Amino acid sequence: MTKLVDYPNILLDALEHGVMIVDEEFNVVYWNQWLEINTAHSYASMVGKSLLTFYPDIDYRTLQRKIRTTLRLNSPTFYDASLNNRFIPIPRNKITSSVLNTMQLQVTISPYVVEQRMVMIAVYDISDLHELKLKLQQQMKKIAQLNVELQHDKQIIDDNLLIVKTDGDFHIIEVSKAFNAFFGFKENELIGWPLQIIYSDKTPLSEYTHMKKTLQDLERWSGEIEILSKQSKALWMDAVVTPWIDHLGILSSYTAIYHDITDKKRLELLATTDPLTKLYNRYRFDEIFDITLMREHWKTGDSFALVIADIDHFKQINDAYGHQRGDEVLVCIAEVLRHTLREGDTLARWGGEEFIFLLPHVDARRAILVAEKLRVAVEQLNLFVNVQLSFGVSLFVAGDTQETLLNRADTALYKAKENGRNKVELL
Amino acid sequence: MKLIEFSGDHLDVLRELMNIAVGNATASIADLLKAFGTMHIPKITISDITGLKQYIQDTIPSENSHYVTKQLFGGPLGGEFIFVITDESAINLGNHLYDIDAPNDADIYDAVIELTNILSATMISRLTEELNVKVQFFVPSTQIIKGNDLIDLDEAQGYVQVIIISTQMEFQNQNINGHIFILTKDAMIQSLKDLIDQKLEELYA
Repeated sequence: MTKLVDYPNILLDALEHGVMIVDEEFNVVYWNQWLEINTAHSYASMVGKSLLTFYPDIDYRTLQRKIRTTLRLNSPTFYDASLNNRFIPIPRNKITSSVLNTMQLQVTISPYVVEQRMVMIAVYDISDLHELKLKLQQQMKKIAQLNVELQHDKQIIDDNLLIVKTDGDFHIIEVSKAFNAFFGFKENELIGWPLQIIYSDKTPLSEYTHMKKTLQDLERWSGEIEILSKQSKALWMDAVVTPWIDHLGILSSYTAIYHDITDKKRLELLATTDPLTKLYNRYRFDEIFDITLMREHWKTGDSFALVIADIDHFKQINDAYGHQRGDEVLVCIAEVLRHTLREGDTLARWGGEEFIFLLPHVDARRAILVAEKLRVAVEQLNLFVNVQLSFGVSLFVAGDTQETLLNRADTALYKAKENGRNKVELL
Repeated sequence: MKLIEFSGDHLDVLRELMNIAVGNATASIADLLKAFGTMHIPKITISDITGLKQYIQDTIPSENSHYVTKQLFGGPLGGEFIFVITDESAINLGNHLYDIDAPNDADIYDAVIELTNILSATMISRLTEELNVKVQFFVPSTQIIKGNDLIDLDEAQGYVQVIIISTQMEFQNQNINGHIFILTKDAMIQSLKDLIDQKLEELYA
């Protein structure tokens, strides 16, 4: 006799998820192999018994309502699977992560034999997916927290740091609140303007060009720069400008951070300038000579000139008109010398009626030419008395020190005086 | 892609079928959840995805948080069933179904899923029954959304045309209000039109 094969049950047992058939009173009619293995309750122990016997803690009122809905509508109903599992607890044996001790189940209640008030409850283990979701939620929470902190930090930066952001062509695209408040600008007032608009004309063009060049080479630039407030008040700033490179290595913007050093500059000015003529004093001149120019020229082999100028017969002016008028002469000469010099040249009051000049990037002919220009400019001054200057020029040669250069310039000046004054002599 | 046009007859049939479906849903909720209320006559609109986003924003108030449950249905007529309920209504629903003063999050989620099940099963099943086709329901999922930004235009690509069937349900005793959207798109719209054609032939035969 051929044994009858129970194909539907074989099919249910072959499924990779749990399937039970229960009636409206929760009596188990079928309990598939997956459930047998994962719940440790055998088919024989479950069939004919109520689920209540084995799982007294689940919400049977809800389950009954869902079974009734399924049977009434002849359509599946579902448990929510997004939060904690609300159906039967099934142990989970995952060792490598311990977020869930029991399986997170997706539960579908489908009509089975409606006339006999039976439904099929399919349970799917979605624990891995649920774990991922929980982890993702944790990460999202962390990201949200970080965003809050980031916003807070950004707010502090915006409120307290003087920052200007420009595009690759140095047009302003963003300005911090602190910058606007500090310099008296309204929000968005500077947007779209070239960065140069905020710099005073005291900033030498060469400095600005140097800054642009450094930044275009994608290097950070730092230096001191004077910025004009909306009310045209000039304020000295320590500036750090950084090119912003995107992840593709392409320049996207520049960010400039400014720090007010006006007071420092004021003190510095007092310490480095002559109070009468407002020219650099001897201390500052020495500093420029030693640190900047000597080093640069040793490196490049470029030449430069040191020039000493002395007002001819200044003692007679003082004696004839008094020291106050003598001071006026000093101020006027200082002013004309300052305006006649080339950009990049250095001028200082050396003491008494002496001035000293540093002329970078010159040869002998050029140095004499500059000194001559200065001499003529002073000669043409229209003051209450005629004034003239004598000049001694020395040109840097390898091995020179400040002392040797000064000695030669002094000797040249002496020669100019000897030769009748109002002259330029080179040694 | 050529847009599918619905004639007045098509829309009349669809409107009539949806009226029947809505009546069915109200009766089922009264029977199964012991909640007695009304559902508005469904509005039927054909739109593109941007229009859908706007339609939803015009319908759902922006100031509340909402439980939004989405359930797909597939077959000769496939689409997405969306049930939107304010958080206040969702808590009231949890109260009503679980008979407790302060339902927890899981109670509320499950209550919302349960109501969605009944609404989708009755409305869609009734519609498809009238059109002589069968549909398969997929597992619904619920999420809480602040405001009314239910459609992400970046994600909802590939929609050319969408039919929006929308209605509102009110259960005054339980203070529960919700909005229902049944959406179907492109090829499914053609399928719906063909099914309505068959229904029209049936009616005029």
